[in-house]
Amino acid sequence: MADETNRSVTCLERRQLLKTAVVAGAAVVAPAALRDEAAQAQSRDSTLVIAAPATPQGLDIEFDVSLGSIDSLGPLYEYMLAYDKIPDPQNPDVLREDTAVHPDRKYGLALRGRLASDWEISDSGKKATFKLREGVKSNWGNTFSAEDVKWTWERKFNLKGQGIFQTSVLGLKHPDQVKIEGPMAISFNLEKPSPILLKQQCNLANPIYDSKKIKEVGGSDDPWGAKFLQNQSAGFGPYRLKQLVRGQQAVFEARSDYWDTAPFMKTVIMREVPTSAARLSLLQGGAVDIAQFLQPREYMSLKGDKAVAFDAVNASYMIWLELNAKIKPFDNVQVRRAMNLALPRDEIIRTIYYGLADPQKAPMPYIYPMANLSFFEYSYNLAAAKKLLAEAGFPNGFKTTLSYNAGDPTQEPIALLYQTALRQIGIEIQLDKLPAGVFYENVTKRQKPVIFYLDSPWTPDPGYSMFLYFHSKSYVDYSNYDNPKVNDLIESGLKTLDDSVRKTIYDEAQKTVMDEAPWGFIAYPKYALARKANLKGFTYYTSNNLRFQDFKRG
Amino acid sequence: MVPQFSALLRSVGHVARVRPRFAIGYGIVVATLLAALLAPLVAPYSPIEANPAQFLQSPDWHHLFGTDAVGMDVFSRTVYAPRIDLTIAIAGTLISAVVGSVIGALVGYYSSGRGVRVWLAYGVMRAADVLQAFPVFVFAIALVASLGQSIQTVVLAIAFVNAPIYLRLMRSQVISIREMRYVEASLVAGLSDMRTIFRHIVPNAIGPVLAQLSVNVGWAILLTAGLSFVGAGVRAPAPEWGSMIAMGFQNVVTGQWWPSVFPGLALAVSVFGFSLVGLSIEVFADPVKRRGLLRDMETARKANGARATRTVAGVGP
Amino acid sequence: MNLLLFIGRRLLFIAPQLLGIVLVSFMLVKSIPGDPAVLMLGPTATPEAIASLRNSLGLDYSLPVQFWIYLQHLALGDLGTSWQTTRPVLEDLLQRFPATLELVTLGLLTAVVIGISLGLASAFNRHGVLARIADFYGLGAGSLPDFWLALVLIFVFYTLLQWVPAPLGRIDIAVIPPNPITGFLTVDCLLTGNWEALRSALGHLLLPVMTLGLINAGPILKMTQSTMEKILQSDFSHYQVLCGIPHRMVVRHALHNALPSVVTIISVLYGYLIGGAVLVEIVFSWGGAGQYAVQGVLNSDLYPVLGFVLFSAIFSLFVYLFVDIIYFTIDPRIGH
Repeated sequence: MADETNRSVTCLERRQLLKTAVVAGAAVVAPAALRDEAAQAQSRDSTLVIAAPATPQGLDIEFDVSLGSIDSLGPLYEYMLAYDKIPDPQNPDVLREDTAVHPDRKYGLALRGRLASDWEISDSGKKATFKLREGVKSNWGNTFSAEDVKWTWERKFNLKGQGIFQTSVLGLKHPDQVKIEGPMAISFNLEKPSPILLKQQCNLANPIYDSKKIKEVGGSDDPWGAKFLQNQSAGFGPYRLKQLVRGQQAVFEARSDYWDTAPFMKTVIMREVPTSAARLSLLQGGAVDIAQFLQPREYMSLKGDKAVAFDAVNASYMIWLELNAKIKPFDNVQVRRAMNLALPRDEIIRTIYYGLADPQKAPMPYIYPMANLSFFEYSYNLAAAKKLLAEAGFPNGFKTTLSYNAGDPTQEPIALLYQTALRQIGIEIQLDKLPAGVFYENVTKRQKPVIFYLDSPWTPDPGYSMFLYFHSKSYVDYSNYDNPKVNDLIESGLKTLDDSVRKTIYDEAQKTVMDEAPWGFIAYPKYALARKANLKGFTYYTSNNLRFQDFKRG
Repeated sequence: MVPQFSALLRSVGHVARVRPRFAIGYGIVVATLLAALLAPLVAPYSPIEANPAQFLQSPDWHHLFGTDAVGMDVFSRTVYAPRIDLTIAIAGTLISAVVGSVIGALVGYYSSGRGVRVWLAYGVMRAADVLQAFPVFVFAIALVASLGQSIQTVVLAIAFVNAPIYLRLMRSQVISIREMRYVEASLVAGLSDMRTIFRHIVPNAIGPVLAQLSVNVGWAILLTAGLSFVGAGVRAPAPEWGSMIAMGFQNVVTGQWWPSVFPGLALAVSVFGFSLVGLSIEVFADPVKRRGLLRDMETARKANGARATRTVAGVGP
Repeated sequence: MNLLLFIGRRLLFIAPQLLGIVLVSFMLVKSIPGDPAVLMLGPTATPEAIASLRNSLGLDYSLPVQFWIYLQHLALGDLGTSWQTTRPVLEDLLQRFPATLELVTLGLLTAVVIGISLGLASAFNRHGVLARIADFYGLGAGSLPDFWLALVLIFVFYTLLQWVPAPLGRIDIAVIPPNPITGFLTVDCLLTGNWEALRSALGHLLLPVMTLGLINAGPILKMTQSTMEKILQSDFSHYQVLCGIPHRMVVRHALHNALPSVVTIISVLYGYLIGGAVLVEIVFSWGGAGQYAVQGVLNSDLYPVLGFVLFSAIFSLFVYLFVDIIYFTIDPRIGH
């Protein structure tokens, strides 16, 4: 059923796409379209063309966190709250979220209301009540109400995708804990206080759905719209999806009935261009406005180009090696520490990242509140590594494999540098290149001794971040790290509201994790964006996604 | 022993003079083999060690072919590469030749007459049809993906893809030889089918197979490189021409052409060498072409002789 | 009548052959590790969700049962669904196969022009410069890896000289392609009179077509040369020469007799290139069927691979059939 409707939608929209494509092609316009050049230029101005590595795989955040998908979420959906924006300290042209601790602001956070117009937390910290904004319409024309928020959270409990993590990190055990308090009011009722209850409302993974539309199309076959939301959206954001042809392009169109300021870019075309070199040349040739995810060397080649610029900001990205604690010899802490001592971080950052990264010195993003870089003691030192190996009972090293993602062009060279360094302390590491499609399957299976991982915890909070990667019950604890003490620390920090107490707790957790080294800590890559010089408004989010509504031409 | 050897050398020299392309072919193949054998002596750097201090250096005296994105010496890797490429190509080709020829001989021998074996032979041929109807490259990648990435798997994939060629070649040869009198004689003398096939038929049918071998080694090198190019070949950082081209591909657009151009050239030249050698074997094995060659050698010798006499005459008092 | 009988007999063989191809490729592709259910649901899926999807995809059945189900769907024209594009494979292939076919056909035409003209030139004058070039070229062309030649051409004509558009697909990103009628972009442009798109499409075709043409001209050239040589040395050619017929005419007659073997090699190349041009497709991001299949293999996306194998097998079988029909009409002896 859903397939059928989709197909007809695509057919119908093809013609419309042609129109927008004309707009996109203002530089070389077909004769038939030469009606009104001024209007053409105008519409080219308000069209944003992005060269992306891939079109969205699915549009449902419950199941899909591919690059294209996360860039689509922000434009298609609205969230309960958002952080204030501030200029990036190192790069004033770029805006970023103000995620710092602000004792002077309400509940210590610099937040502003989106779908929630006001919010209160009870003194115990266990109950948060949100007053909802009136008169907000979805892209299907339905009016926003408390019902939608309730349904959104029920969906997480029922589909058991990544949303399950979102509920458990808040301590939600049952859908009834999210209560409708009136047509335009909703409350979250927790058993224990949570310091991240408000932060979670900004998380990209928690968009609010238009429940009426999804119930309508899904019926009893697909009550949670898992099929529908793969190819469609039902939300309150500034854009609607106009077309999605996987492997080719996704087209978004600004909504005229959006509740907030109308976006500058009326049409957004996301073109799939798999190779980074090709994206670069499209940007340089002027065919696209943004070239995403170039290689560091390619960003460097943009220096001195007047028409094209790139921004690089400190980001929540981390790239590391999962040292699988359930596979010998990485069950041995000494071995894991030795692996870290043999990691040539500075060389990697210089030759592979061209300086567009910083060494990873904490088990959470360095830009997050309470991140403590002082527990890092793994500066490149082969002698010390060799000594540790000998103490661990491997004086002559050992053999193992290192798996990496063929789809990420930085991983192979990092692996090669690391292999060369390890060889000098007797560790023979075989490189195991995995096609992008099966790479994540291999990460989640946790059966590779050493595997790369590039990720970022979206909520700028130490508890959220450490729960994700180091709590033995988390689904992303891909290194099989299991330390009851760390579990306890993480949990207790997620029940504590006092920021100074939390700081002590997470200092201890960070120290333990750094000591026990479940990861090979590599780097904090920066988020970089190559764009036309006249494209302004780029805002960095800790979920490392674009929001098309931020961009304008200046 | 020694005079025989020098006679051989002399005739090799004669052949080289009238067919210089054969000489080039053998020269290339020998050079490639030598590179494989002597790589540790020739290569100035380790082929698998990254040197981040020297990445993407353009070719100069220290790095004849420059360095790649992680600072591995492109020349050393290019020199080491035939170790892997030739091993895979030769092993794959030999396996396919042996398996293909044996089955081909049996199928050819039993393809006429009656009984179960005829049906079997027919079945084998239809199976070969099926194998050959596959898009070669997709089949090879699927095979590697299914069996896991390793040198052995690539060898197997190459053997699989090429075996039907030998099967057909041998079969058609055997079918024609089968009707010969000496085959009949052998059977009448009481030799078993197997003995007849392997003692009397196969040796007489082997010529075209041998000529095919060398050409096929060239194809196999190309196929190996193609597999590595899409990431289904050998593992990095093993020096292999195809994967070097693939790794260097990213750099071409930003202007660093050397990490992928040099291995490509080396690859092309060695495949060229193998096809020339294949051509020479074809000539040696085909009586008609061999006669042409001998004729050319004769005329060359005469011309040469005439010239030599003239020179002597000129020098004489 | 005889011809119909001949075609009928050939078609009779094609059905079991196709079945064999489907069977082998099904077993092969199924043996590739990687669980499509896990891949489809993404890294955040729970075991229960995966189990239920496996069930609905029929992955829990035994292989023979799965094969039987696939065959049943196949009989209804359903080639399955690709998890990567989330579209029916048949739709994807109908869109991509023409892209490959267009590239391969034009590439092969280029190869035929180069191959036959050089081959004839060397037949006209055995010891001329052209003949020497042809000799060398015939040997060398097949030695070049096509993907490498493509890269070199891109480097020279795009990166250095900027003569051709970026090696990105079939048409400029900013140009509107015509609505697909035949799926062949150039033909569609001609039919709709969309000259802008035609120019762009031809620009994008230039390098990949040259790559395929230059490399595949080798075998055609060699075949032309060797058959021509053989025929020119045959008794009837000698006789023609003795009769004083001009060399040009002798060559023309020889060519007529050499054509069948040249046609054979072209048909073999045609069948081979449908799958064999995949590396060139990848280098130029062509979005063709071969690339689709390779992506399928690498990402455990089974149905696109099966669909592609089936399509290309049918295609090559029909090319061979077509060639046989040509022979049959030229030379009725084959019918017996």
